[in-house]
Amino acid sequence: MKRLLMLSLLMLGVIGPASAAMSHDGMLMDEKGMIMNANSDRLPADCPKISENVDINIHAGRKHALKFNGKMFAFDQQEWNVKPCAKINITFTNDDQIRHQLMIHGLPGYLYPQGMFHLELYGAGELKASLIVPSTKKTYLVHCELTQHMEKGMKAQLKVDGGDGDLPSIPGISKPVKADVYEVDWSQMTVAVLLICVLLGAAVPLFVMRNK
Amino acid sequence: MSKKLIIFLTLLIPVLTGIAVFVTPELSQKVGIAPPETVYKQSDETSNIEKPCSNEHPDWRPAQLIDGVAIEEAPSCEPDNPYNVAASVKGTNNVSMATLMQTDLSDDALIMGDDLDNDGDPDVIHIKLEVIELNGSSPDGDFLINTYDIGPGIQPGLWVFAPKSRGMALKNFNSMVANPLLRAPSPTIRVEQGDKVYITLENTHYLPHTIHLHGVDHPWQTSKGEDNDGMEEHPVFPGENHVYEIQPRHSGTMFYHCHVQTAQHFMMGLSGMFVVEENQPNNWVQTFNIGAGQVRHPSVAVKKAYSQEYDLFYQAIDKKLAQIIQGANDPRLIAKRMSRDYNMTESFENYFLLNGHSFPYTLRDSVIVAADKENIKLRIVNAQRSSVALHFHGHKATVTAYDGVDQPAGLQLTRDVFDIAPAQRIDLSLKTQNDGLNSYGPGLWMFHDHVATGTTTDGMEPGGNMAILAYKPLIDEQGMPKMHEEFLNEVFSKDYYGKKQAVWNTGDFAHLLGEAGLFAPDYLRIIVFGLATGLIIGLLVLITLVYKRKQQ
Repeated sequence: MKRLLMLSLLMLGVIGPASAAMSHDGMLMDEKGMIMNANSDRLPADCPKISENVDINIHAGRKHALKFNGKMFAFDQQEWNVKPCAKINITFTNDDQIRHQLMIHGLPGYLYPQGMFHLELYGAGELKASLIVPSTKKTYLVHCELTQHMEKGMKAQLKVDGGDGDLPSIPGISKPVKADVYEVDWSQMTVAVLLICVLLGAAVPLFVMRNK
Repeated sequence: MSKKLIIFLTLLIPVLTGIAVFVTPELSQKVGIAPPETVYKQSDETSNIEKPCSNEHPDWRPAQLIDGVAIEEAPSCEPDNPYNVAASVKGTNNVSMATLMQTDLSDDALIMGDDLDNDGDPDVIHIKLEVIELNGSSPDGDFLINTYDIGPGIQPGLWVFAPKSRGMALKNFNSMVANPLLRAPSPTIRVEQGDKVYITLENTHYLPHTIHLHGVDHPWQTSKGEDNDGMEEHPVFPGENHVYEIQPRHSGTMFYHCHVQTAQHFMMGLSGMFVVEENQPNNWVQTFNIGAGQVRHPSVAVKKAYSQEYDLFYQAIDKKLAQIIQGANDPRLIAKRMSRDYNMTESFENYFLLNGHSFPYTLRDSVIVAADKENIKLRIVNAQRSSVALHFHGHKATVTAYDGVDQPAGLQLTRDVFDIAPAQRIDLSLKTQNDGLNSYGPGLWMFHDHVATGTTTDGMEPGGNMAILAYKPLIDEQGMPKMHEEFLNEVFSKDYYGKKQAVWNTGDFAHLLGEAGLFAPDYLRIIVFGLATGLIIGLLVLITLVYKRKQQ
C-alpha cells in the first residue's frame, strides 16, 4: 500500500511537508486522519448504474459497547443492508479520544486497491466518504483494525443483496469461533433441584409397578 | 459342565495371573548389552528452521542523510528504519511526506514546536503514545493476532507503549504479524533538558493504564491541576487520553512505566527508557528509539564524548502472566484473571529480553559493533522483576552515572559485573582500547546478565538476554557473526527452543551426543500378557455364570 501511495504522490509531484493535506483519487491524509480508496463515481464492472443512494452514519467508540456484555469498543450498529450496486455515503464519527478506523474488506481490487475501503480518525471527529458496491450478493467485513479493537467488539458487517451469511463474532449477531468460557452459577437451590429430580426419576418405575 | 472342569479352570486363574505378572510389559527398560541407537531427529517441517538473517533491508544499514538528518551506520542484520529515525529527530510535522510514508507513524505522533531559547533546536515537543497488545487473542479462531516473536517460535502476550501509528497494525493482508513499529520494548524516549514536553497517552487498549515518569523531573500536577504522576488512582481508561507535562531540569537516563496494577502491567511490558539529554545548541535529539538499541542520531553532548551510543533495555516475562490475555476475549475475564487470580508473589520469570528479543534474535538487532579504540556510551535499564548482573566478556567498562546522576570522578568504578537493581539505570563507558584492562582485543565478545536464569529462554540455554559485542572485522556484510554458521543454524530453530532437539546434534559429536533413541517394544511379551489377562477375565465371567446357573 505504501508503495502505491508513494507512486501516486510522486506522479502528482506533491511531496512536501507532511502537515499539508495530501489528496488524490485513492487517498486523502492530514493531521486529523485519512481516507483511502473512496469512490463516488466509478461503477463496478457488473453495475450498469447506481441502484440507490444510501446515507449511513457510523459512530465508533467505547460508549457503543455498553449495550453488549464483555466488549470494550463497538460501532453504534453492527449491520447495514444495501441493494446491489448501491452508492453508500458514509459519515464516520469517532466518539473517543483515541484513534479508530472503519475498514471494509473484500471489495473488487480494480476499484479499491487491496480490496479495501479505509477511513481513519486520529481522535474525536468526523469524516465523510463514499463507495459503490458491486452487484454480487455478499457480506463484507467492517472493522477497526487497531490491535484488539475488532477482537474486543468493533466488528460489523455490510450486506449487499441480503449478504451471503453472517460473519463470526459480530456483537449481538453471531457466535465467536473461539468462545470464552464462563462459570455457571450453581447455588444450593440448583443442587436441590437436581437432587429432587433424581429422586423423582427413581420413583417413576416404582410408581408404575405399584399401579400395574 | 463337569465339576472337574470347573475346578481345573478355577485353578488356571492363579497360574495365568502368575504368567501375566511375570511378563508385564514395561514403559521403560534397563539396558542390556546394546543401548538404543542415536536418533537424528531433525524436524520434518522446514519452516521450523529460520534463516539467521533475512536481510530484508540492506539499504537501511549505511550512514545516510534523510531530510537533512544525519543517520549513523548500523551494520546489524536488522538495523532500525532510518526513516523512523529521521521522523523521530525532526518530528512528523517537519519531515517530507515521502519520508513519513516510509514509516508507520501517524502525522501527529511527534510534533516539534518553537525554539524557545533560540539555540537552533525545537523546545516544545508533543509526543503521542498508544498502548498496543502483541500476541493477543481473537474470538475468530485459534490463533494469535499482531504477533511478535521474541525468539524462534516464542510468542508471549505482551503490552507496549508505541508511538502513535496510522494504517494497518498488521504487516500485510496475508499475515498475523504486527507491523514493525509495534514491537517490544516500549520505545526509548529522548528529550532535551529544559524542553517543554507534552506526552499524550491515548489509551487504545481495553484496560486502564497510565504513564509514570520515573526519575524524570516532573511537577506532581499539570498546569490544569490534573494528575501528572501517573499513579494508580488516576487511570486513563480505554478510549480516553491524558496529557502529562514536563520540563526536566536535570539530564540523565530515566525510566517510564504504567502505574496501574503496577506489578502485572510492568511485567506485561509497559515500561521504557526515558533519556533527558544535556541542553546544547543545535541539539536535535532522536525522540523515539524504536526497539531501543543503537542510537543512530546521538545528541550533541554524547557525540562530543563518545563514538557511539546504545540503549540497552532488560526485561523479563512470566509466561503464566503472559498467557492470560491469550486465554479469553472478554475484558472482564482478563481483568479478573490478571488482577485477582494471578498472584505475583508466586510467579516466575521465564523469558529474558534485551531490547525486546531473546537470543538468538538479539544477534539480529542488539549487536554492539565496535572498532578499535572507541569509547561507547551504553545506557542500561533493568525493567526485570529480579536484579541484573551485567557482564561483558573481554572488557571492563566504567560506570559514569547511576539513575541519571553522574558519578563523581573518584566513584566511577571500572568493573566486569554491574549489579543493576530493578528499575535502576546505569550509564557505562565501554572503551575498546586493547590494553588488557579496558579490552582484551578484537573478538565476538558475549555480554549478558550473569544471573543464571538470564541467559535461558524458559530454561533453555543459550537464550535470554545473551548478546554480542562484535569487532567489525568479525561480522559479515549482513551484520551476523562470522565463523559460527553451524551454531547459528542450530539455534535459529523453533525445535531447539521447543526442546525437541538434542543440543549437540551436529558434526562429529552428533552420534555421541545426539538423542538417545527408544527401545523397540517387546511384542512377544505384550502378546503373552494380553492373552493371559484376557483369558483371566473370560474365565472369571464364565465361572460366575456357571455358579449362578447352578444356584438356580
